[in-house]
Amino acid sequence: MSLQMVSSFDLSSNCWKIELSGEIDISTADIFRETLEKIYHEKKNNIILHFDHLDYIDSTGLGVIIGAYGKMKENNNRIQILNPKKNIQKLLIITDLDQMLL
Amino acid sequence: MADLLKFSMPGKPEYVGVVRLAVSSAANCAGFGLEAIEDIRVAVSEACTNVLKHGEQEENCYEVECRIEKDRFVIRVTDLCGGYDTEKYLMPSVGNAKESGLGIFIIKALMDEVDILSTLGEGTKIQMVKYLL
Repeated sequence: MSLQMVSSFDLSSNCWKIELSGEIDISTADIFRETLEKIYHEKKNNIILHFDHLDYIDSTGLGVIIGAYGKMKENNNRIQILNPKKNIQKLLIITDLDQMLL
Repeated sequence: MADLLKFSMPGKPEYVGVVRLAVSSAANCAGFGLEAIEDIRVAVSEACTNVLKHGEQEENCYEVECRIEKDRFVIRVTDLCGGYDTEKYLMPSVGNAKESGLGIFIIKALMDEVDILSTLGEGTKIQMVKYLL
């Protein structure tokens, strides 16, 4: 299972939208990080990660989001997760990342 | 008598997904429900990722053992890339420290028992237990 990402800039809400499906783990975390860096470099705005079809994320994937959160905070931008599946929601709660990212 | 399943894995990130599938399937055979299988899947994946963070090795890099007992499921992930640079191990890079700490934290939150055994000259072993209720 690999990771698919579709990113677009939403003019009405003035933020990036990334729709993800598949799995983010140690084998796909790099491409995920590169995608975040690329779009944010192109236009510095908030990023909304649509997790509706994402089946799995591990600590390396969460580490990428934490890293992006820190960098974006310097410019007063936010990165947020929308509609995570139940298993991912559980992971966000136990790591205390839910308040920061949901 | 416990049933023992053993997997020998190359140190490549693309195969961690294979371990997740195999161990989930074994947990299903052991009689766990969906949520417990998910916990086991996440925990074992984090343990494998932890091995791979020391750096890539082509073959025979780590072993995953699953022991199905009457009342518990025991998973042991053994790093065979042994004899690694202890200095590097004791002092992970600043960028990595937070992430690998997160992995171990997740394992401890999801499993009933967790033991991390690190002996000099031998690879690190992470042993995790989930009780069959």
